[in-house]
Amino acid sequence: MAVSDRMTTIDLFKAVQGSDIAIAFGNAPLVFGIAAQLFHISGIVLILTPTLLVALRIAGTGLVDYSAAQLERKSRVYVATGLLFVVFSGLFMLIPSATLYQPNPAFQLKLILLPVALAFHYGFLARIAKEEFSQKWLAKIIALFMALLWFAVGMAGRAIGFLAA
Amino acid sequence: MNLHDLFQAMYESCLGTALAESLYVYPLVEGIHLLSLAFSFGLIVLVDFRLLGIALPSLPVGEMLKQLRPWMIGGFTATFVTGILLMFALGPKLLATFIFPLKLLVILLAALNAIWFEWKFGRDQDYLTGRKDPVVSAKIAGAISLASWSTVVVLGRLIPYFDGSF
Repeated sequence: MAVSDRMTTIDLFKAVQGSDIAIAFGNAPLVFGIAAQLFHISGIVLILTPTLLVALRIAGTGLVDYSAAQLERKSRVYVATGLLFVVFSGLFMLIPSATLYQPNPAFQLKLILLPVALAFHYGFLARIAKEEFSQKWLAKIIALFMALLWFAVGMAGRAIGFLAA
Repeated sequence: MNLHDLFQAMYESCLGTALAESLYVYPLVEGIHLLSLAFSFGLIVLVDFRLLGIALPSLPVGEMLKQLRPWMIGGFTATFVTGILLMFALGPKLLATFIFPLKLLVILLAALNAIWFEWKFGRDQDYLTGRKDPVVSAKIAGAISLASWSTVVVLGRLIPYFDGSF
């Protein structure tokens, strides 16, 4: 494919914004936009709170009657539900205004932080929460870092509105 | 001095002006207000689910409260302090519609419910340690708490939609 034929990121976002589904989302009544925001916030809480509880338990505090591994297993369904909420509500907000989001540095940062947070969450959390994970100091550092990473995703998301204004 | 005058005075204060005109501090305060919900709202929902018998039923209520209370208090402190700062930054336009006063009213209801729960069950060792079967009034307190704090979050998110000046 010739260089000039390649689709750039902005072309992709323009195509998304011009799609029928984007137009339908954009013309949806305001109540859908409000509902999307509420689902987005609920999703953030559903991800952050269980993750924090596991991170706190790994650090030796919080719900100490349960092991970190038990809490991590219990947290999975809430985090997965939260991710579904944030992804679908996020797409509902993003698609009709995709070209506004694309150049926003906070959005770009969020797009970098989100996969990193997901990789840490699904790559490390279950492993470091296990009783037999011997390097407890490393587990505490990773757990703290992961919690901070999720908060950074949230802060970057919140910053989108301020940088776009 | 009525409520509008109070909010106007807060808005015109040095703190209100500094916050409203700050490029970074205002978004940071708003971000913390939102994300501290993970500690405040998220943990209170977990406790409410426990009171209703839905979440972690094998953990006695007293143990759960003891283990989570410092984090909930920390979360509510962050949410409350940043909320006050946002009141300084936004001033009387918060009172332009019924949404914000209603939010304050529901917070008051939720706080009264929490105080009642503490008064009724705070020293009831049989209930807190799980020796006594879950009582209906504790479940009702959990349901009221769940409904009221959820309403507070919804109303908070509705504020900008009901006032075009934000």
